[in-house]
Amino acid sequence: MIKFVLRRFLELLLALFLIATATFFLTAAAPGDPLLSRTLALPEASRDAMYAKYGLDKPVLERYVITMKGMLHGDFGESVVYQGQTLQTILRDKLPVSARLGLQQLIFGVLVGLLLGVIAAVKRETWIDRCIVVFAVLMMSVPELVLGLIFQKYFAGTLKLLPVIGWPTGKDLWFGGWKYTILPTLSGGLLYIATYSRLLKTSILDVLDQDYILTARSKGLSEPRIVWSHIMRNSMIPIVTRLPVTLAMCLTGSFMIEKIFAIPGIAAYFVEAVSANDLSIVLGETVFLAALFITVIFLTDILYTIVDPRIRIQGGKR
Amino acid sequence: MDNLLEIKGLRVSYHTYQGEVQSVRGVDLEIGQEESVALVGESGCGKSVTGKSILRLIQAPGEILPGSQITFDGRDVLSLSKKELRAYRGGQASIIFQDALAALNPTMTVGRQIMENLLYHRKIGKREARAEAIRLLGEVGIPNPEKRVDQYPHEFSGGMRQRVMIAIAFACQPQLLIADEPTTALDVTIQAQIIKLLKQLQRENHTSILMITHDLGVVASIAQRIFVMYSGVIVERGSSDDIFYRPRHPYTRALLQAVPRMDQEGKQELNSIEGTPPDLIAPPEGCPFASRCKYAMPVCARLAPEVTDFGGGHRCACWLYHEMAPRVAELNDPDAAPAGEEVGQ
Repeated sequence: MIKFVLRRFLELLLALFLIATATFFLTAAAPGDPLLSRTLALPEASRDAMYAKYGLDKPVLERYVITMKGMLHGDFGESVVYQGQTLQTILRDKLPVSARLGLQQLIFGVLVGLLLGVIAAVKRETWIDRCIVVFAVLMMSVPELVLGLIFQKYFAGTLKLLPVIGWPTGKDLWFGGWKYTILPTLSGGLLYIATYSRLLKTSILDVLDQDYILTARSKGLSEPRIVWSHIMRNSMIPIVTRLPVTLAMCLTGSFMIEKIFAIPGIAAYFVEAVSANDLSIVLGETVFLAALFITVIFLTDILYTIVDPRIRIQGGKR
Repeated sequence: MDNLLEIKGLRVSYHTYQGEVQSVRGVDLEIGQEESVALVGESGCGKSVTGKSILRLIQAPGEILPGSQITFDGRDVLSLSKKELRAYRGGQASIIFQDALAALNPTMTVGRQIMENLLYHRKIGKREARAEAIRLLGEVGIPNPEKRVDQYPHEFSGGMRQRVMIAIAFACQPQLLIADEPTTALDVTIQAQIIKLLKQLQRENHTSILMITHDLGVVASIAQRIFVMYSGVIVERGSSDDIFYRPRHPYTRALLQAVPRMDQEGKQELNSIEGTPPDLIAPPEGCPFASRCKYAMPVCARLAPEVTDFGGGHRCACWLYHEMAPRVAELNDPDAAPAGEEVGQ
């Protein structure tokens, strides 16, 4: 087990190094000059000083070495576009916003999804099951952008029940301004309802077909007991192992939702940084996201061994 | 004779897209106290469905049709209340399946799977149930039961898993054990051990056994009486000797001829039965075996055969024994009958 964790950690470092290198050269090779608009009106001397400040006067390879060295100390460099901002300050300000929205979507989507999944499995082949299936397929095929716009038009526009855009900040950052969060939560959460209801239903039906359910019945166990110790435990395996990835996706936000609801989150900012050619921020955020996802996948592997005793981790090989 | 289990006119159908599959089409069967009875037939003949029906384990889209009767120890199984049914399942009658790996919950230790039975039926505490589970594992021949009790099914070998199933089945000393192809997935030496174990536990617990199998070799060593099933009906029934030495139904004879014999020298070609069983969505009006039977007469395809009683409980549903039918010498001459395979234990 220790060997497994160690191996995974080394793999994580290697992956991050490769991702950072690739990102650095891709952004460096991208057309456009991040300082162009800010320096256009400046005299030549000031312009050179600006370029020197961000290290953009040096050759690419030298910049690469400086950047990688800084990264070892967690220093990704200052934002080229927003003065005084670094990756850390941006994450500190923006990540909680995306995280709250994501967590709300996750809790709402997964709970309702699992509930619908159980209902669909119990009422399989009835009109209730078919409605849930149709709903799920619809929600999976309609992009959240379209859902968001429709909700804005009807709930905010026509019915005037909820605000069109905006997001609680300041002291309301975590537990306030609920009415602003309803539409964004719905727009993103419906997808999770669809995914998780389908996932759980398929899984339950699969378990119901297994011989060990017949064995459980042949023992004279009560129906609740069969459902909890035999059906749910086994059908939750695919759910539990999928949750970490969903969680990571939620925490890091959705560009579409943040954009149309004017939410000051991390996803919208990331896309802005890319279009503004904000080199250090793009690089920093890419590495941050990569580290997050690799860690989540690692946790998923550990989780597998906890929920399914048939899977064992071996030190040397997978 | 006071039978432990009596089945009368059992009919089970599966409602599928293609139509109603009539899996079991009127089966009569009875099992005496402490008796071993075998139900023999090929895949899809309805023998497993019959076995599951006894514990009312038929799930949708399957259905035990009205008019069927299952009486256990004088009680009507099909009209048991939920609570009575729970006490009956696992307490008075239990079942083991062919594939023990599939029949055991992969995410629960074998100890807990045995304890589940004990906790519900015997009303004992957890600690006591655990001790009993360890004792049971030892009794079914699992070495090191104190350690094995906390392991998961995938950590056991095939034979050991079937032993765990047997421990679960015998946990509450049932009066009836339904063994649905218990040795089919195991290799031959393990098969013999499992059969031996079943016989030993049967003696100790005074249990009746319904052995469901397609393997006549397994049947020979355990069953006192044999029921031969084909296409959802019993075509022949009788004592083990009747079936092995005086088989009457052409299907029974063909089955016996398909068993490799150990008393013949040199090369022997295995006999197989040509053709396939009829489609049970539209079962034939006459004898279901008629299309594959080399003695078939015109009447066989049109009318279901009458049952002829040969005495001593030996009965066979075949037109060839009707008084108006021509005598077929090899069917009536006991010397021409294939001898049963000797299976030593």
